[in-house]
Amino acid sequence: MSLEALLPSAIDGLMLGFVYGLAAMGLTLIFGVMKVINLSHGPVIALGMFAVFLLFSSFGINPYVGVLAAAAIGLLFGTVIYFVAVDRVINAPELTTLLATFSVNLMIIGVGTVLFTTSPRSVDIDLGALRGSGVTILGTHAVAVVIAVLAAAALYGFLFRTRVGKQVRAVANNRAAAELMGIDSRRMLALAFGIGTALAMTSGALLSTLFAFTILSGGTYELKSFVIVVLGGLGNPTGALVGGLVIGLLEGVLTVFIPVAWVPVFEYLIFLVMLQLRPAGLLGSRA
Amino acid sequence: MSVAAPSAAALAVEGLQSGYGEVQILWGASLALAPGKLTTVLGSNGAGKTTLLRTVMGLLPAWKGTVRFDDRDVTRLSAHEKADLGMVLVPEGRQLFSTMSVVENLEMGATCRRARADRKRSFDQVFTLFPRLAERRGQLAATLSGGEQQMLAIARGLMAKPTILMFDEPSLGLSPLFTMNLFEIIRRLKREGLTMLLVEQNVQLALAVSDYAYVLSHGKVEIEGEAREVRQMEAVRKAYLGL
Repeated sequence: MSLEALLPSAIDGLMLGFVYGLAAMGLTLIFGVMKVINLSHGPVIALGMFAVFLLFSSFGINPYVGVLAAAAIGLLFGTVIYFVAVDRVINAPELTTLLATFSVNLMIIGVGTVLFTTSPRSVDIDLGALRGSGVTILGTHAVAVVIAVLAAAALYGFLFRTRVGKQVRAVANNRAAAELMGIDSRRMLALAFGIGTALAMTSGALLSTLFAFTILSGGTYELKSFVIVVLGGLGNPTGALVGGLVIGLLEGVLTVFIPVAWVPVFEYLIFLVMLQLRPAGLLGSRA
Repeated sequence: MSVAAPSAAALAVEGLQSGYGEVQILWGASLALAPGKLTTVLGSNGAGKTTLLRTVMGLLPAWKGTVRFDDRDVTRLSAHEKADLGMVLVPEGRQLFSTMSVVENLEMGATCRRARADRKRSFDQVFTLFPRLAERRGQLAATLSGGEQQMLAIARGLMAKPTILMFDEPSLGLSPLFTMNLFEIIRRLKREGLTMLLVEQNVQLALAVSDYAYVLSHGKVEIEGEAREVRQMEAVRKAYLGL
């Protein structure tokens, strides 16, 4: 319980926060664009982990190439989820879309458990470490941060600099008006769901290079994503990234003082306090 | 249907019925827009004017009846497909992309391929027509004044290169000065030969600029005729002009 343990732990937590933030960005993007609370988020994160694992263990594909592949698969898979499960209920009340995505959750978990069982897997990768005075930064952690930051930047570049990205924002802002301007809103919703899923899978893919996992591991990160999204303001991707860093840092610091099992208690305490005091999130809600 | 044969009309609506949920609002409305003319649809609150426009555009499904554009049945097309063809609605309450800048709103107007090819010229045109928007190009739409927002809504519609431009209550909430400005713009577009449909609560002004007028009542066309004739009708003067 010394302060010497605090700095490395805080740095570790902060780095992990980027990966949490990335997953939360996916969740918040989907909510921001179509007001759907995506309960398939967790299993999709787990699929990201397994994408990297299977490509690596079966074909010997480099895990970081696997991360790219996971993003691409996520984009495709998310679009499929949208058209199969979400599109038919997109105008229904929020509870209906929540249940629709929950059914996708159950299907992925069910099929995944049959195929992969629930025994832990890991991707064996060692990139060495940077050692400073009392601080050690693992190579895999550093690369995960870089990739998470690049993915977040790519999302912003897409939403604010490209024509299609602006169309997604227009649909998020006012769907009827977007239709009146000739924007195919259904296509944009499907794309947004695809991108949200791709972000979740990328995050899962990065997590697979850090920790062991099972098909059920996504659940933990899904719950974390919800805390982060509320912290950052529903529908606000920047807020999600910031919220991710806050939660990561908090985890890092808390585990120095209390057992890991107690950390979620504090996270949900924050969740409740935020909902009571600042429901719009730390940054307020935009977009 | 008395003046223009359906084939000559830029837009022909026949026996249109629609509504919200169980509530029927339109009970067989029929009207036709002559090419290059300004047509107005009048009627009291709840007569079905906005429902008519929303159904024509496909934001609401038509229960019965047809919408023909350029002699093609477009009744079942979705709103974005109709916009693609050149049917453009400037909706009630402006419906801007409030979290996007003025320029981005205009870019969204020029979404369809036809309009995108001509985007540069459309920007020039729109900024000449509304110099105020050029000054405020980087500003978020939500931060504009009511009058400026209405300008942006119209400019965004023009960016789409409409074959038919429809307005739903464009003067709602505008100051008298802005309203005069607005009608000056509509006159200008008319001189340029744009086919337009105007739904307007300011009946006097609407009749003054229009060529042809329909009066909608209980979801049906009750009166129609040349605008200057309609203006003289006893029933219209009493009910809508307060004379």
